[in-house]
Amino acid sequence: MTRILRYLFLIACGLAVLLGFLIHVKHPLFRWETIPAFDAAFGFLGCIIIVLISKMLGKYWLQKDEDYYD
Amino acid sequence: MISAVPPAFIFILGGLLLPLLRARRLKQVWLLFIPALAFADLLAMQSSGTYWIYHFLGYDLVFGKIDTLSMCFGYVFVIVAFLGMVYALHVKEDGQHVATMFYIGSALGVVFAGDLFTLFVFWEIMAASSVFLIWYQRDKAALGAGFRYLMVHLFGGSALLAGIIIHVSTTGSTQFGVIDYGSLSSLLILLGFIINAAVPPFHAWLSDAYPEATVTGSIFLTAFTTKSAVYVLIRAFPGVELLVWMGAIMAVYGVVYAVLENDIRRLLAYHIISQVGYMVCGVGLGTEMAINGSTVHAFCHILYKALLFMGAAAVIHVTGKRKLTELQGKNLYKKMPICLSLYMVGAFSISAVPLFNGFISKTMVVAAAGELHRPVIYLLLHLASIGTFLHTGLKLPYGIWFGKAPQVETRDAIEAKEPPLHMLIAMGMTAFLCIVTGVFPHILYNLLPYPVHYNPYTPYHIVGMLQLLLLTAAAFWLFANKLGGEPTVSVDTDWFYRKGAGLVMRYCYRLNDVRTGMQTFASRVVEGAVVASKNPIQSVQTLFFRKKSVLSPYDADAYRQAIGVGVMVLLVLLCIFCVILFFRVGKLLM
Repeated sequence: MTRILRYLFLIACGLAVLLGFLIHVKHPLFRWETIPAFDAAFGFLGCIIIVLISKMLGKYWLQKDEDYYD
Repeated sequence: MISAVPPAFIFILGGLLLPLLRARRLKQVWLLFIPALAFADLLAMQSSGTYWIYHFLGYDLVFGKIDTLSMCFGYVFVIVAFLGMVYALHVKEDGQHVATMFYIGSALGVVFAGDLFTLFVFWEIMAASSVFLIWYQRDKAALGAGFRYLMVHLFGGSALLAGIIIHVSTTGSTQFGVIDYGSLSSLLILLGFIINAAVPPFHAWLSDAYPEATVTGSIFLTAFTTKSAVYVLIRAFPGVELLVWMGAIMAVYGVVYAVLENDIRRLLAYHIISQVGYMVCGVGLGTEMAINGSTVHAFCHILYKALLFMGAAAVIHVTGKRKLTELQGKNLYKKMPICLSLYMVGAFSISAVPLFNGFISKTMVVAAAGELHRPVIYLLLHLASIGTFLHTGLKLPYGIWFGKAPQVETRDAIEAKEPPLHMLIAMGMTAFLCIVTGVFPHILYNLLPYPVHYNPYTPYHIVGMLQLLLLTAAAFWLFANKLGGEPTVSVDTDWFYRKGAGLVMRYCYRLNDVRTGMQTFASRVVEGAVVASKNPIQSVQTLFFRKKSVLSPYDADAYRQAIGVGVMVLLVLLCIFCVILFFRVGKLLM
C-alpha cells in the first residue's frame, strides 16, 4: 500500500514537471517564468534551504530547554 | 420593517444576557442565535454610508461606517463567530462565553467604527475581553502568558491613543480614514495597529499567548485581533512602502520559527504571523488588486485557520497532549480519521492547493507583487508558501497522527477517539466553506472593495502551484525523520520582556529593601522620641545611669483609631468641599 502511494507520488511529481514544459506564459512578468519547471526547483530547493537555515538558527541560537523561562 | 442596529451591540448585549438564562439547552440555543441574528443584521445593512452617529462631548461617534470593505470583514467575523460557537457548545463556564461575545462584539465595533474614538474604545475592549479566553485555561503558564498579552496590548493601545490625540488636535478631525503617513501621530497610530497585527518584532505576544488559551478560546483568538488590525491597516495606511517589507519578512519569519516548534498550537500560531504577513504586504503594495488580495486573504485565512486550530484543539481535547514529542508515533490516525481529514482540508487551504480557498486568495497577493515587478517580495512570499505547506500540510499532520516516536519510553499508547459530535460538525461546516469558496471564487470576489480582474485558475498558476507543493513534499520526504518535534522552546522577541522583567523585579526588590530599612530606622527614631518626650529626665537617667524605666513602653497602636477617624472625617469634609467648589466654579465658567 505505502509502496503504491510512493510510486503514485513520484508519478505526480513527474507529471507536474512535464506539464510545466507544455505551458508557455504569454507575457512573463519575470524572467524566471520562462524557465520550465522553475517552480518545481524552487519548491524543492526552497524547502531544503528553509529547513537547513531554521535548524541551524535553532541549534546554535534560538532553541533552549523547556524550563528556560521558569 | 425592523431597521438594523450596530452588530457590535448584538454580541455585547447577547453576552450580558447569557448568564441570566438558566437551562443549559437554552444557553446553547442563545449562543447560536446571537451570531445568526447578527448575520441577519448584516444583511439588513446593505446601503453604504455612515450610520448611527451619536454626538458626545463635542465629537461625533460613528458606529456604522458601511462600505464593501467593512461589510466583507463583518461577514467573515460573524460567520466564524457562529462556527466557533458550534465548536464551543460543550463549554459550561458562562464567563468564557461572555468574554467571547464581548470580544467578537468589540472586533465588529472596530470594523464598523467611523471615527477614531469609537475605534479606540472597541480596540481596548477587544484586548481586555480576549485575555479571559487565555486565563480561563486556569494554569500557571496561561496566567503568565495572559498578563504578558495584556501588557503588550495595553502598550499598543496607549500608543494608539497618543497617536489619536495628536492626530485629532492637529487636524481637528476625528474621522477614521486614510492617514497621511510620516507625522508623529501617524507613526504612533501605525505602531498601535502593527502590534495587533503581530508584525515582528512586536509579534511575540501572539505565539506566546494563543497556545496557552483554552481549547475553544484559541479558535476565536485566531480570527479577530490580527484580522481587525489588517482591516484598520487597509483603511488607514494603504500603499505605505514600509508595510511591504514588513509583510514579506513577517511571512518568512513565521515559517522559520515553525520549523523549530514542538507545541502544535504554537506552530500554527507562527503560521498566523506568516499568513498575516501576506495581508500586511498587500496593504503596503496598495494597488486595487493588492488591497483586494489582502481582504480576500483575510476572509479565507479566518476560515482555514479556525479549521486548523479546531483540529489541533480537538486533539488536545481528547488526548490532553499538546506537544509533537508526546503525540508522534501514537498512530492516532486510526482513532480519529474524520478529524484528520477535516484538518487536512484546512491544511490544503492554507497551503494554497488548487480548489481550496487559500489558492484563490494568497495567489492574488503574490500576483499583485508580480504586477508591480517586485521580484524580491514575490520570491519571499513564494518561499513562505513552501514553508506553510511544509509545516501545516506535512510536518504537523505527520507528527500528530503518524510519525515515529522519538524515544522508546514514550511509546505507550494514549487514549484517543474522535472529538464530540458538535466539534466535528463545526469542523465540517468550516471545511465545507473552505472548499466552496475555493471552487467558486466569485462568491468572495463579488464582495471585495474593488472590481476583480484576476483569475486564479489559469493553467500556469495551477501547474506552478502543483510543482511547488509536490516538490516541497518530496523534500519533506527526505527530511521526514529529522523534522519531528524536539523538546525545546525557542527564544523570540518576548525574551526581552520575559528576561527583562526578572531584572526589573530584582531591582525593585533591592529598592524595597532600602525602603524597609529606612522605615525601620525612622520608626525606631519615633519610638525613642516618644519615650524621651514623656519624661526627658528619666530617659536620660535610663540611658546613661542604667536606671530601670518606670514609663510604659511605646505602643504604636495607642492612638491609631482616634487619628484614623480624624483623618477620615477630614477626607470626607474635603470631598464635600471639592464637590461644592466644582459646582461653584463650574457655574462661574458657564
